[in-house]
Amino acid sequence: MDRVAIRQGLQDAAPIVMAYVPIAMTFGVIAIQCRLPFWMAILISVAVYAGGAQFMLVSLLASGTPSAAVVGTVLLVNLRHALYGTALGPVFSTWSETKRWIAAFGLTDEVFAVTSGRWSDTPPTPARQWTLSFTCYASWVIGTVAGAAIGRAAPGWLAHDLSFALPALFLALLVLSVARRAHLVASLVGAGIALMCTWFHAGGMGIALGGLIGATAGMVVGHSWQRQAGRRTVDEAG
Amino acid sequence: MIRTLLIVLGVGLGTYLIRAVSLSLGSRVRWPDWIRAWLGYVTPAVLGAMLGPMLLLPDGAMLSPWRNPALLASVPTGLVAWRTKNLLWTVACGVVCYAVIAR
Repeated sequence: MDRVAIRQGLQDAAPIVMAYVPIAMTFGVIAIQCRLPFWMAILISVAVYAGGAQFMLVSLLASGTPSAAVVGTVLLVNLRHALYGTALGPVFSTWSETKRWIAAFGLTDEVFAVTSGRWSDTPPTPARQWTLSFTCYASWVIGTVAGAAIGRAAPGWLAHDLSFALPALFLALLVLSVARRAHLVASLVGAGIALMCTWFHAGGMGIALGGLIGATAGMVVGHSWQRQAGRRTVDEAG
Repeated sequence: MIRTLLIVLGVGLGTYLIRAVSLSLGSRVRWPDWIRAWLGYVTPAVLGAMLGPMLLLPDGAMLSPWRNPALLASVPTGLVAWRTKNLLWTVACGVVCYAVIAR
């Protein structure tokens, strides 16, 4: 591995690391509050390595949702990563299959954003890409260890106040994910379905069902709005 | 604890396979546009489905909005999220608002 590529990879990683450490610490604190053992909190960051999905995972584990529903729901959340692989595939098309499978491990939202932002001018080399990926991964795991240690030491009242960190984080992620009005439709339909399921004591299914139906509703509405907007532009032009 | 361990390992393996298979396939085939569009709507839909019951039916029961600190705290939290677009600020503001309101 050459030194220049590693230095470039570290430079790419720096802004992500700054964001990952505090978020991973928050995750560590919340995982301990959800009564998970210290080692399990760290294992989740080591094995799953996906921000939003990890928070959902611990909240589902704490709520006593059936195992299959937990796995299904969290994987549904991570399904958007398929979008990243699909988009980045052509960039890595000159790499060997093994190198691609190693790079895939570190393909989080943020790493994807950085990689796709600069792919057009300089296709990443394996050394640079791996340095980026695994530096971010290391910061995520270290942040989790620190957070879990803080979570163990925190007094009860602080733990109660921190319990709102999870909905607050979801709200922030939701606001960031709503780029168009149709995204808002998707989230409102998802919320409505989940509320109905909870009301009728089928809460375990609520998130997966809400996600599937909400995403489909959002896509249908978004598509029809786009067509209307298209027709209007044609009318005005004609 | 074995159950939790298996869930965590299953989610980890599944997440990795989603990333690896799509990257491997993405180097060779192009996916239909409607699948790519649909995937873009999954995140807001799932987040809405997580938040709805958390805020409106805490512990599975309907509360009057004035007695529901999570719902009240979500108003300033949402505003901060929208204005700052920053995860840390939002979480910090949310926790402080919730602590003040719940007391």
